[in-house]
Amino acid sequence: MSDTSAWVIFIAAIFTNNILLTNFLGMCSFIACSGQIKTSLGLGTAVTFVMVMTTMLNYVIYHFVLVPYGLGHLQFIVFIAVIAAFVQLVEMFVERFSPKLYFALGIFLPLITVNCAILGASLFMIIREYTFVQSVGFGLGAGIGWAVAILMLAGLRQKMRYSHVPKAFEGVPIAMIVTGVLAMAFMGFAGMVSIQ
Amino acid sequence: MKWLLKIVDAVRPTFEEGGKLHVFNPVFGALEHFLFAPGTRTLGAPHIRDPIDLKRFMSMAIISVVPCVFAALYFFGLRIIPMIIVSYACGLAVEAAFAIVRKEGINEGFFVTGILFPMILPPGIPLWMVGVGVAFGVLIGKELFGGTGRNIFNPALVGRCFLALAYPAKMSASWIEAGGGLTGRLLEYATAPAATDAVTVATPLSEAKGGQMCSIWHLLFGNVSGSAGETSAILIILGGVFLLFTRVANWRTVAGILLSFVILTGALIQGGAVSYSIDGLVSPIIWHVFAGGLLFGAFFMATDPVTSPTSNIGKWIYGIIIGSTTVLIRNFTGYVEGVTFAILLGNIVAPILDEAVIAIRIRRLRSEG
Repeated sequence: MSDTSAWVIFIAAIFTNNILLTNFLGMCSFIACSGQIKTSLGLGTAVTFVMVMTTMLNYVIYHFVLVPYGLGHLQFIVFIAVIAAFVQLVEMFVERFSPKLYFALGIFLPLITVNCAILGASLFMIIREYTFVQSVGFGLGAGIGWAVAILMLAGLRQKMRYSHVPKAFEGVPIAMIVTGVLAMAFMGFAGMVSIQ
Repeated sequence: MKWLLKIVDAVRPTFEEGGKLHVFNPVFGALEHFLFAPGTRTLGAPHIRDPIDLKRFMSMAIISVVPCVFAALYFFGLRIIPMIIVSYACGLAVEAAFAIVRKEGINEGFFVTGILFPMILPPGIPLWMVGVGVAFGVLIGKELFGGTGRNIFNPALVGRCFLALAYPAKMSASWIEAGGGLTGRLLEYATAPAATDAVTVATPLSEAKGGQMCSIWHLLFGNVSGSAGETSAILIILGGVFLLFTRVANWRTVAGILLSFVILTGALIQGGAVSYSIDGLVSPIIWHVFAGGLLFGAFFMATDPVTSPTSNIGKWIYGIIIGSTTVLIRNFTGYVEGVTFAILLGNIVAPILDEAVIAIRIRRLRSEG
């Protein structure tokens, strides 16, 4: 059990331990949905929301259901089931209130279910033995960190419309290279705050 | 110079359409334009009579760095010359390869990167690292995005960042003690002391982490160790003011960086979050402004018009992000200096800032009708 304050974990999850730029989790939707700032903002918000809620739910389920009954080994299946159910709810919600965003996100909204960043956040929470408050801080920070990273990439990709990228590098390859430079810049924060 | 012109004229057909070495036309063109004014003229009216063009723009930037180059020569010796040569040679090789494949001309953009890059490196750095760094910077930071004017990152900073992350030990062992006296190290070919003995020279900023801060005057004149061109605060300000005066650099970016840096450092000292060995509030702030690469980055690197935002409000916010990130990295991370990372981060958020400013403006115009 670490005694770092939830606030520090929140900041660390955004900058020093950005779940995307240091752990490289959630790359598929990061690359695929970063063509436009608006879409990526929507996806970033959805991921943040889902991440906070599922870390909270998973915390409660893990510590009050799985552990007391000695079912800790079932965490993977249970976590994924919780995430899938929750994403289904979000999907219905988005479809009802913002059909435009719903169509813009397309397949990637249901795919949040298998966004490794979200399962990753829940698993990190267990491995690092966070308390409930710390888990909320971590979930929120990791989600915002993911959203910030995808927003940055989307901005750069919009600007790159005026670039003249070699044919072989168009699309995903150049996005990977940009992600690499992003990660390089984020290395500057290393050691500022510790996550544990 | 007649004989040179004759040679150029004589070999020209070889490089033109149908010639034997046609593939290398961009290289030839760059060389010709470097030596002589191009003979091509605009055909037909209208002519735009504007004294500023890319070439003039880049020349201004180079002129403004010249004082720093001389300071580097004086303080760190003749080794700076091969560093500049290697930087130009390796960078131009990458540039030329892309120009040949793309069948475009080599343009003046690289001449600025080529001179700025050695200026932000430790003066005792192995020459192969200069070459690797500049090649990486030009390739990843610029050419993959289409060359000058289309890049989204500052190529010199991408190269510097790459070297700092890939060879941290070599970088930190490459600082040279600055020379003094009448000739400084002008007559020496100084290498890093780590090559001969185990004593490493510390930069003012890394000394400050250990609780020792040198005199502000030393930082102002520049006889301290540090990256080749960044030590002399007064010469950087001189070149920087020239850049601002000719409007090559935008004052908003510079003001945003310096103001946010001063205010945040002041707030941290007042709040007791950091403490320095110099007493008071004003002098530690001035010390930190002069130390390290802050001024060099603020005047020469962050103001790059291609990689900074285009809107004025965007430039202010961009400056503030760079300034405050530098303070955070300098004071709270394992890194001694954070200007490189901060400006790179600024380049990354620049397009978002522009988009946000434009979106807000459009919304306001709509609500006004």
